[in-house]
Amino acid sequence: MLQKKICLLGAFGVGKTSLVRRYVDTIFSDAYLTTVGVKIDKKIVTIGTEPLSLILWDIAGEDEMSAVRLSYLRGAAGYLLVVDGTRAETLETAASIQTRVTAEIGKIPFLTLLNKADLKEEWALPAQRLETLEGAGWTFRRTSAKTGESVEASFEDLAALLAR
Amino acid sequence: MLHLPAQISDSLMLLVHGQRVLAHLAVDDAQKLVHAGGDLAHYGLDGIQPGDAACERISFLEGLLPLAESPFLLRSMEMPSGRVADVHFFADGSTVWIVLLDVTTEHDEAQRVQQKAYDMTLLSQREARLIEQLEAANQELRRAHRELAESREALQRTHDRLQQELREAERYVRAMLPAPLSGPMAVDWRFVPSTELGGDSFGYHWIDAEHFALYLIDVCGHGVGAALLSVAVADTLRSEALPRTDFRRPAEVLAALNQAYQMERHGELFCTVWYGVYHRGTGSLRYASAGHPPAMLVSGPRDAAGECLALKASGPCIGISPVARYGEEQCSLPSPARLFVFSDGTYEITRPDGSMLAFSDFTEMLARPVREGQSGLDSLLEFAREMHGPGVLEDDFTIIEMAL
Repeated sequence: MLQKKICLLGAFGVGKTSLVRRYVDTIFSDAYLTTVGVKIDKKIVTIGTEPLSLILWDIAGEDEMSAVRLSYLRGAAGYLLVVDGTRAETLETAASIQTRVTAEIGKIPFLTLLNKADLKEEWALPAQRLETLEGAGWTFRRTSAKTGESVEASFEDLAALLAR
Repeated sequence: MLHLPAQISDSLMLLVHGQRVLAHLAVDDAQKLVHAGGDLAHYGLDGIQPGDAACERISFLEGLLPLAESPFLLRSMEMPSGRVADVHFFADGSTVWIVLLDVTTEHDEAQRVQQKAYDMTLLSQREARLIEQLEAANQELRRAHRELAESREALQRTHDRLQQELREAERYVRAMLPAPLSGPMAVDWRFVPSTELGGDSFGYHWIDAEHFALYLIDVCGHGVGAALLSVAVADTLRSEALPRTDFRRPAEVLAALNQAYQMERHGELFCTVWYGVYHRGTGSLRYASAGHPPAMLVSGPRDAAGECLALKASGPCIGISPVARYGEEQCSLPSPARLFVFSDGTYEITRPDGSMLAFSDFTEMLARPVREGQSGLDSLLEFAREMHGPGVLEDDFTIIEMAL
């Protein structure tokens, strides 16, 4: 079976692990448990008529003290950039990571997930900045690991991009 | 490489294995497993056999082979068993060796520290956002407060200007009132509007050498509109500005006044009027009323209790009906006597307990003896204020006294 490695990248606390848990195990927990290093999961999807095995690398979030270890990305076919919609600064962290990933491993497909879409009243992402990034080729999906909104569709949209 | 005797190297290797639980795999250039050894079960990788397709059996190898650099390290990778390993890759010719060293203890410790740090950071970020929102709300409140203060100032300026204009209008209205007379009949009055501008007005003047006219107007309502109409009516009477009217005949005067001041042409306002004419030669009084309270005649000297007689006359208010008719009455004014003409505000007084002053209490006050040097009108005003209690009187207080 064809296998593709997908990495989840973003600032700490944006919900990368929660998105994987929602997608792979269809569960969600409100408790925040930080990730150190990397966790690997596997999910088989069907793209068209062909099964595809997605190897999901849930990589520790970036903070002010430590950058994402780009060595984890070696061999990745695509990645999901995750942003916390209630913390505007995490959009800039995502932009910074994307620049470094492109410099390190070249242009590979990615989608940007604006997560925590259930917290509408706390939404804090500047529309103009999003428009600028869209102009630069970014594709956004509003997701909520809590409600499941657009989670499965986002993973499978990226899988479809990789299967082309 | 370390130039150590084999015995020591072996001991060190055993020490590392004891602390780090070594497991090792080797993969050939066809990405087939060629070796699987050490404690693979510790990492949940038991069951892996040489000959297996490496990437299918071991997910994390996907995309990593062939090695781009050697040695290559992936730190803190969670294994299927839940243990955490540092994964070391080494190229040995066409074979890639993969060595797993358990770092679960270090991982868990690092996670505890990182968890606390991230919790604190998220909390402080949330606090900063809340402070920012509070500051924005505070700024908005300050702006609203500033605007409110500005509009209040503008309102105050408008209010002050209107008050000033009202005071000027009141001065004008008062300037229109006649001065008290001392002879041949003594005429005095008290005029206390309930607002700056009331609906009451009055006047008296000699029509000719023998006839003295006395009148009081009470427009329904208070304020600028009522005051304007009241002053206009008083001015009409004072200047005798009604065509083909004998101002010595009260009923004729009220009928002409009624024609001139129909309410549909005067802001829907109407008024009551008492109009009397005293003939000095005969001592007679002719009078008429347009819905006005009766004048009161108190016979006898001022310093003795007098007798009160109501001078009633019938007729509707001025301005209500164009076909209104007014009856004319006549009486003699014996000397000494005092004639009081007043508006309803002098006796329609509400006490603090909500009850109304009786008209008889008012007429009793009129009939009381007045000591030398005292003013009966001041006593009456004081009585009204005492009955009313604190605050201004609800209606205009207007009374004229003509003493013979």
